[in-house]
Amino acid sequence: MGLREDIERYREVGEERRQDLAEFIQYGDLGSSRDDEIHIPIKIIDLPEFTYDQRDMGGVGQGGDGTPEPGEPVGQPEEGEDGDPGEEAGEHEYYEMDPEEFAQELDEELGLDLDPKGKQVVEEVEGDFTDITRTGPSSTLDFERLFKQGLKRKLAMDFDREYVSEALKIEGWGPAEVFEWARAEENLPVSRAWIDEQHAELSDSERDTYPSIDAMTDQVEREDTAQRIRREGVDQIPFRRDDERYRYPEVVQEREKNVVVVNIRDVSGSMREHKRELVERTFTPLDWYLQGKYDNAEFVYIAHDAEAWEVDRDEFFGIRSGGGTRISSAYELAKQRLDEAFPFDEWNRYVFAAGDSENSSNDTADNVVPLMNQIDANLHAYVETQPSGNAINATHAEEVERQFRGSDDVAVAYVSSPEDVTDAIYRILSTEETDE
Amino acid sequence: MSEHDTNNEETDRENPIMGGPGTAAAETVRMQREAERLAEPVDAASDLAQRLGLRPYPVNYWIVDYDEMNELVAYGGFQERYPHWRWGMSYDRQQKQGQFLGGKAFEIVNNDNPAHAFLQISNSLADQKAVITHVEAHSDFFANNKWFGMFGQDPDAAALLDRHADTIRRYMEDPDIDRAEVERFIDHVLCLEDNIDQHIAYEPVSSDATDGEGPAGGVEAQLEELDLSEEVRRQVFDDDWLDRQDGDSDRPSFPEEPEHDVLGFLRSHGMQYDDEVGKAVEMDDWQRDVLEILRRESYYFAPQKMTKIMNEGWASYWESLMMSGENIADADEFLTYADHMSKVLGSGGMNPYSLGLQLWEYVENSENRRNVVDKLLRVEGVTWRNFHDRIDFDEVLDLLEPDDLVSSVDTDALDSLPAEDPRIDADSLAAARDGAFDPEQYPWRLLTYEGLSERHYSLVQPQNRGYLARISLEELERIARYMFDDARYESVEAALADVEYTSGWDRMREIRESHNDVTFIDEFLTQEFVDEHDYFTYEYLHSSGDYRATSSDYRDVKKKLMLQLTNFGKPTVAVADGNYRNRNELLLEHQYNGVALDLEQAKETLSRVFELWGRPVALRTIEKQYDEHDLEVARRRDREPDPTEVGLEIRYDGTAFTETELDWSDVKHLAATDIDYDTKPEDWLA
Repeated sequence: MGLREDIERYREVGEERRQDLAEFIQYGDLGSSRDDEIHIPIKIIDLPEFTYDQRDMGGVGQGGDGTPEPGEPVGQPEEGEDGDPGEEAGEHEYYEMDPEEFAQELDEELGLDLDPKGKQVVEEVEGDFTDITRTGPSSTLDFERLFKQGLKRKLAMDFDREYVSEALKIEGWGPAEVFEWARAEENLPVSRAWIDEQHAELSDSERDTYPSIDAMTDQVEREDTAQRIRREGVDQIPFRRDDERYRYPEVVQEREKNVVVVNIRDVSGSMREHKRELVERTFTPLDWYLQGKYDNAEFVYIAHDAEAWEVDRDEFFGIRSGGGTRISSAYELAKQRLDEAFPFDEWNRYVFAAGDSENSSNDTADNVVPLMNQIDANLHAYVETQPSGNAINATHAEEVERQFRGSDDVAVAYVSSPEDVTDAIYRILSTEETDE
Repeated sequence: MSEHDTNNEETDRENPIMGGPGTAAAETVRMQREAERLAEPVDAASDLAQRLGLRPYPVNYWIVDYDEMNELVAYGGFQERYPHWRWGMSYDRQQKQGQFLGGKAFEIVNNDNPAHAFLQISNSLADQKAVITHVEAHSDFFANNKWFGMFGQDPDAAALLDRHADTIRRYMEDPDIDRAEVERFIDHVLCLEDNIDQHIAYEPVSSDATDGEGPAGGVEAQLEELDLSEEVRRQVFDDDWLDRQDGDSDRPSFPEEPEHDVLGFLRSHGMQYDDEVGKAVEMDDWQRDVLEILRRESYYFAPQKMTKIMNEGWASYWESLMMSGENIADADEFLTYADHMSKVLGSGGMNPYSLGLQLWEYVENSENRRNVVDKLLRVEGVTWRNFHDRIDFDEVLDLLEPDDLVSSVDTDALDSLPAEDPRIDADSLAAARDGAFDPEQYPWRLLTYEGLSERHYSLVQPQNRGYLARISLEELERIARYMFDDARYESVEAALADVEYTSGWDRMREIRESHNDVTFIDEFLTQEFVDEHDYFTYEYLHSSGDYRATSSDYRDVKKKLMLQLTNFGKPTVAVADGNYRNRNELLLEHQYNGVALDLEQAKETLSRVFELWGRPVALRTIEKQYDEHDLEVARRRDREPDPTEVGLEIRYDGTAFTETELDWSDVKHLAATDIDYDTKPEDWLA
């Protein structure tokens, strides 16, 4: 009862009222999302009420340094300006999805079912220190065990010294008789040398203290080891090398599903605002999706005109340069980066490129296609964004498509308006799926 | 958070501070320790509040952890509320905001007798003390403001809301009632939660109130009672016939006067639309019950919404005085305290805490000034005309400085303090002399209300020293106008000896008894105040497409504040007719004050009203229309276009909306002609 339930209900209500996923991808504001947190704007989650038209209402402000003159712009009034933190208007409410949920929803929405290939990446993980060996660094020495073993040994070797010494005082008994008696009858771990030593220390009068063994046992109280240790304590534990044990961690082999996604974008002069936006609309959901599908996702962003260079995600979709276009430059860089840091036997690799299909002459056939063949990847994709109709030399997409027709690891998609984005995403992601 | 259980209630009476309910053992120990640490400050704050003239309800403090605090904030300050996703939403929002007010939730106190306040265990001692002093003042406001009194002097709110929660939960768990339907029904009602008549005391609508004047008199309803088959009905009593009946009917529409308590009206006369039979049927018992419960909660929370600026300002004022003026905070806590204050008050924009605090300080200063001026104008030779020339304000301020007796109580010389002085609390002094307490830490314990008011006299404080000299001639004249023996004193000194140091606080307490935010601002917001605090108004301009500052005239600022505060800052919508078109339809009217409705939201709300009425519903309003051409011209000339005001009726019949333009004569009565909330300068208009 109570909070948890109400939060859960709110999530459900939010879920019902959030913008449709496909619509969000096509037209929504992707920019307000961070890499790991996807905000899906909810259409008015809060309940409606009779209220004033915000614009018609105007308001009151308080100047920081003096009062603004009439006519000075004052910026957008803050929501919930009555200062009550609990009660802001719900207009800019976001439904938050993490990439896992996003991937799941997109699967449902588009009917995808990409099962992240267990690139059976083996990782050695240190588990608990439960295994044991006879050698090792002293910090891993199992001292408790060593001590216990030593104590056991001590207990085993111990005997009631006084009791045995008293036996030497029996009339007619010498060291030989005592040793015989102690070992055979009393089962005490006593040495002959020790008995001889004790015997030598006795004076002649002491040697006849007891008339017989029976008289001695009657008069001398025997004390067992445990009692004696309790009384005297343990002065010394005989540690032995044999008893030393070193702990070491169990090696756990974990299979992590790693993915590296290389995003390549043509930033040359012909890629105008509209085309850039289409690339962003296509790539961003792909990134989120793969991030949601795999345990561990890394992203490499490569911008290129005639040259290629690596950039941060923040800059990636905004860059615009003046130069020409040579797509192979980007694949060269991608190959280099992948070989360096993301070996194919450990990483699932996705290489997505986007542009308006313009390329310098013969670059596609002579360089890009061979490079695509050389770069092992789960999937290569080229997204052609061409909102303004075909240009004559824009044949990269076609060439790639022709070259890899029927292949299950190369996808080519065409996006000329936001409506096409979801189809393109489906096309790209379903290409790999058929591979299963 | 678990129940506010009865055992805790019992211990309430003995120890006003206790650990949060239902906490684990280790937590309990921690909370117990915090409670012990705070026992002394709570005791001190309560004693000091009394001496300062406050008369709060007793306050029970609860120590809670961060999560519990967040939860309480989400649930409007109470532990038990009916199940609803909105609480989940506000909790979620708070979490995302990384905790409101910069990471601290510090002040929750409920209007109840005794009041319940919550202290977050992770707060610093300085913050706890700030909350405690703040809370004492809120509790005084609850206990003494007449708007709070309207819900009854002893609201027993926690128990009330608890019962509400139980009832609604029971309906949700009832196997005969669809839980989702209960939730939806609550949603519908909440859309109208501000549509009550907050200016009159809450009266429950009892179940047998659905009577006489009710809609049963409508022709259509009478037909329904005849239980005719649809065919007979359609053939014999067709729509034309029905319309003819309208003309003949001399039955007055009801209610006679527009009813502002829309929820109450729906409670009495609302029905539900039954999809299966395709017509309105009586509400179920649980629906009536839930509607009344939510209505009662609206009435309970209304005073808090109506006095937010006053109440928060009041609490901030006394908090500040007790904390920094009277050492409730130790020296090393003071920095954290100052930081805390700036967080609450300095959040920019229009903020009820700071507007309220500034207004109360202004009230205090102007009342003290009025009292001083009243005395000075009686000095021989001083008139309102020569006041500024004849009076040496520095001298006046020096003379007004509090006596050393109260400003620096000499706690080392208790024997020399005059017990008979009205500013000295003789009993406390005797106790201190006996060694019952050490006055070193809290010298105010030796002072009475009179003593403390002199000790904290506002006009001589550094930030207020300009007030006296700043008085305008108009105000001087106003004070002088009703003065008879205007030459009573021979000297300024003699006049000032009669100044009543308590006049500011006395007046403040009177105001806190009778005002709400609207009347408070209406009465006390002056040009002097607006200038001092740089308030201004802004409007949206069609010519520039953004918001621009428009005025710093206090009348404009007041207008805009009135708009934001009157009727909770919401448009006034009242029931005009419960038998509209003589077909038991509901007609709501928006009492247009020059500011248009948000039509999209209005339509959505209307569809919710349908769910509570069961039959078609309509809303009349006035819409502002802008002609495309005018907009274009206005933009080019950098002038504001003049909208055309047009009557509009939106009707919802359960499936579709229809919008009809109305003749001006149909809506003329809705348009208020005597108010204008527009603050755009005349010469900006096209």
